[in-house]
Amino acid sequence: MNYNLALSDETLLSIEKPERYIGNEVNSVYKDKNAVDIRFAMCFPDVYEIGMSHLGIQILYGLFNSYEDVWCERVYSPWTDMDKVLRDKDIPLFALESQEPIRNFDFLGFTIQYEMCYTNILQVLDLSKIPLLAADRTWDDPIVVGGGPCTYNPEPITDFFDFFYIGEGETRYREIFDLYKKARKDGVSRQEFLRQLSHIPGMYVPSLYNVEYNDDFTIKSMKPIYDDVPETVKKEMCTDLSKEFYPTKPVVPYIKITQDRVVLEVMRGCIRGCRFCQAGQLYKPLREKDVEYLKQHAIESLKNTGYEEISLSSLSSSDYSKLPELLDFLIEECNDKKVNISLPSLRIDAFSLDVMSKVQDVKKSSLTFAPEAGTQRMRDVINKGLTEEDILRGSHEAFLGGWNKVKLYFMLGLPTETDEDILGIGDIANKVAVEYFETMPKEKRNGRTIDIVASTSFFVPKPFTPFQWAPMNTKEEFLDKANKTRKGIMSQLNQKHIKYNWHEADASMMEGILARGDRRLNKVILKAYESGCIYDAWGEYFHFDVWMKIFDECGIDPFFYTTRERADDEIFPWDILNCGVTKSFLLREWKNALAGKPSSNCRLGCLGCGAASYGVGVCTEGKNNA
Amino acid sequence: MHKLRLKFSKNGPIKFIGHLDVMRYFQKAIRRAEIDVKYSEGFSPHQVISFAQPLSVGATSDGEYMDMTVNSMISTEDIKNRLNEFMNEGIEIISVVELGDSAEKAMTAAYAAKYKIRFRQSLKPDFDWISEFKKYLDNDKLPAMKKTKSGEKEIDMKPMIFSCECDEADESVTLLLSMSSMATLKPSLLFGGFMNSKGLELDNNALDIHRIDIYRLCEDGDKSYIEPFITDDISTRFYLNV
Repeated sequence: MNYNLALSDETLLSIEKPERYIGNEVNSVYKDKNAVDIRFAMCFPDVYEIGMSHLGIQILYGLFNSYEDVWCERVYSPWTDMDKVLRDKDIPLFALESQEPIRNFDFLGFTIQYEMCYTNILQVLDLSKIPLLAADRTWDDPIVVGGGPCTYNPEPITDFFDFFYIGEGETRYREIFDLYKKARKDGVSRQEFLRQLSHIPGMYVPSLYNVEYNDDFTIKSMKPIYDDVPETVKKEMCTDLSKEFYPTKPVVPYIKITQDRVVLEVMRGCIRGCRFCQAGQLYKPLREKDVEYLKQHAIESLKNTGYEEISLSSLSSSDYSKLPELLDFLIEECNDKKVNISLPSLRIDAFSLDVMSKVQDVKKSSLTFAPEAGTQRMRDVINKGLTEEDILRGSHEAFLGGWNKVKLYFMLGLPTETDEDILGIGDIANKVAVEYFETMPKEKRNGRTIDIVASTSFFVPKPFTPFQWAPMNTKEEFLDKANKTRKGIMSQLNQKHIKYNWHEADASMMEGILARGDRRLNKVILKAYESGCIYDAWGEYFHFDVWMKIFDECGIDPFFYTTRERADDEIFPWDILNCGVTKSFLLREWKNALAGKPSSNCRLGCLGCGAASYGVGVCTEGKNNA
Repeated sequence: MHKLRLKFSKNGPIKFIGHLDVMRYFQKAIRRAEIDVKYSEGFSPHQVISFAQPLSVGATSDGEYMDMTVNSMISTEDIKNRLNEFMNEGIEIISVVELGDSAEKAMTAAYAAKYKIRFRQSLKPDFDWISEFKKYLDNDKLPAMKKTKSGEKEIDMKPMIFSCECDEADESVTLLLSMSSMATLKPSLLFGGFMNSKGLELDNNALDIHRIDIYRLCEDGDKSYIEPFITDDISTRFYLNV
C-alpha cells in the first residue's frame, strides 16, 4: 500500500474516475525501491480500463516482479482531463505503484496493440518529460522499448524507441536486464549498450540500421550500420508454454474494466490460415498448453482474484484439442463456486451449442458467425473455411436450442471483391432468417422472432499476411460498398429482421497508412501529436482532417501506403524482421488468393510456411510435413 | 444460515473508490476469503450482501456497515479474521455481529451519522470559520434548497442536526446529523448553507469528511436514543429530545 499519492486530494477529486491513478489494487506489487536494481514502467498507451484488460501486461508484470532485482510498475495514458491537469500543474507522469515519475525509471516499455495508439505513446513520453526522440535521450532517461503486434512493422515509430522486442516477452528479458546491469556497472555509453543489446536474438535497435529509398519512395535497401549488428531480426517465441510463467495473481482493479474477469490463455497461434489475419501469421505455430496446467491455473486464479467470471483466450478456442475436457472441468468447478464462464467465439456446432446452453442464458445470448465475406468465391480468396452450409446448419441447431439472436461479421474491401460479393452479405443474412422461420413454425416461436445483426468492417491489409501486397480501398470506395451492402440488405424479403452496422472509413484509412508505413511517417506522427492529436483510437478524439493536413505539409502522399499496388519483389519496410513465416510462402498464398484457391490448415496438411523452423507445437505433430 | 453485520473502515487512497466499486471489491474479497456466503437463486446468482448509506468519493470512515448472509461459519470472529486476511490496507473489518432474523437491513435501520469535518488545506476559507460556523448554527432556522427527484424544495436543516462539537486547535467540527430514509442531511448541504450565509459558494471538493459512525434508533422506556450500529459502549448513546 502506498499512501503517498502523486496528486493532491483536490486534484484527484476534480477529475473523472480518480481510481485510474491511485494504484493500490488487489495483487499489485510493492517493493522497496532501494532494494532493486531495475525499475521497469510497463505502459499500455490507452486509458486504464483498456490497458488493464490486456493479458500480455499481466504476464510480463508478474514475470518481472518474480525477479528479486526488478520492480515492474504500471502506467496508462492519462485521460484527457488528467492530461490537462498534468500539463497545467507541471506534474510529471508517474507510475501507479510508487507514484514516482516515470523518468526516474530504468526502462519504459510500451505494448503496442494497435496503430491508432501511436500518438498516445508520444503523450506518455511527453508527460513523463522524456525526450520524444530516442536520439535526444541520455542515461538520465529510461530505455524506451516497444513490443506487441504493431512492432512487426515498427518503422513508422522508430524515432521514438530505443529498441523493439520482436516476439513473445517471456524469453529474453532476463538476459536484457543482466546486460543492462552490467552496462551501467561498467559505465558504457547508452549507444554501446544498445549495440550490445542488438546481439540478443529478437532485439531490433532501429538506430543501428540505415534505410535507402528509390526515387518512387519504395525501399532500396535496409542495412545495419555495423558489421556486428544482425541483418534481420527473428521473432522470439516460447517453445513450451506449459513451462512458462503465467500470472495466477493478476492485478484486480477497483473499477470495471473491459476484460473484467480471469483470462485463461489456452494456446498461442492458430492453425487456420485466414489470409487477411495478421495474428494468425505472427503467432505461428500453434502451441497448446497442457490441460492439467490450465485446470490448476483456473483454480488458482479464481482463488487469488475473487473474480466471478472466467474466460478462455486464444485465436480459435475450438481448435484446442482438449477443449471438451477443459470445459467439463470448468463447468463443474464454476458451478460450485458460482462463477460464470464466458466463452470466446466458438465455432457453432452441436458441441459448442451444448456447452453454451450450460453456461449462458440462451434467451439473452446471441450466436456469432464470422463468414467475413458474402460469397463462397470471396471466402476462398481469403481462405476462410466457413461455408454457407456451416452457417445454416449451425443456425438450425441453435434455433432448436432456443437461440434467436444472430450476429454476422463481414469485411468490405477485400482483394478481388465484386458487387456480387457485397450483395451476398444481405443474401446470407436473409437465408439465416428463412432458416429460422422454417425451423421454428409459428406455434413454436412463443411470440419471439429472429433478430439478426450484420456488421461490416473495412479491410486493412497488414504486414506479414498474404495480403501485404494488396491495394486498400479508398474512403469513397468503402462508403460506396457500405451503401451497396445496406441496399442489398434492404432488398431482402426479411429485411426488417436484419440490422446493419458499418465502421468509420476515415479511421480504417488511417490504420491502413500506419500499418504498412515506413520511417518517413515518424515526422508525420510527431507533427500530429504536436498538433494536438491523441486518443486517435477513440472516434470522438480522432481528427482525420488534421492528419491529412500534416501529410500535405510534410509532402507525403498518404495513398502511397494504402491504394498502391505493390510489386511481388518490392522490399517492404518490415522485411528487416522475420516473424517465422517466409516471404515466399506469403507470396504463394497471395497468388493462391488471386486465383481463388483455398489452402489447407496446419493440422490437415503443412503448407511449409517456415514456422517449422521453431520445431515446436503443431509443426511437430507429424501430420504430412511439407 | 446466519445474518451478519460487519463494521469496517475506509482510509487512505481507498477513499477514492466509489460506492459501487467498494461493493464489487467486497464481493471479490468474500470469494478470496472463501466465506460460505449465501447466493440468491436464479440464472445469475449474486451474494446476499447489502450496504448502509453510501459514502461520498474522497471521504474516509471508521464506521461503514455491510450486512451479509452466510450459510455456515465457525464464528463471527473467524469471519472477521478471514476477511481481514484478504483486505487491502485501508479497509479493515472492525467487528462482526450476528443479527436476529427480524433485524432490519443496515440501509433501513440507519437513523443518523457522525462526521468529523475539516476544510482541505488549499480550499480553506480565509476567515475563522469555526467560530462563524458556531454562530451560523445558532440561527433558529437553517433553510436550504435540497435537490429531490422532482426538482428542488426548501427544507430546514436545523432539526436534522443532533449535535455539534468544535475543536479549534484541530480546525475540525464533529457533527451528528440525521441520516435516514425520512431525512438525510449531507455535510455538503449544511456547509453550502453556511458558506452562502457568508456570501460565498462551497467548492465541491473543499470538505475533508470523515465518517465516525452510523447510528440506529433505540427505545429505552419512553425515551428514544440513538447509538452506533455495533457498540457495547453505553457512553456512545445519544438521547433525543422528546
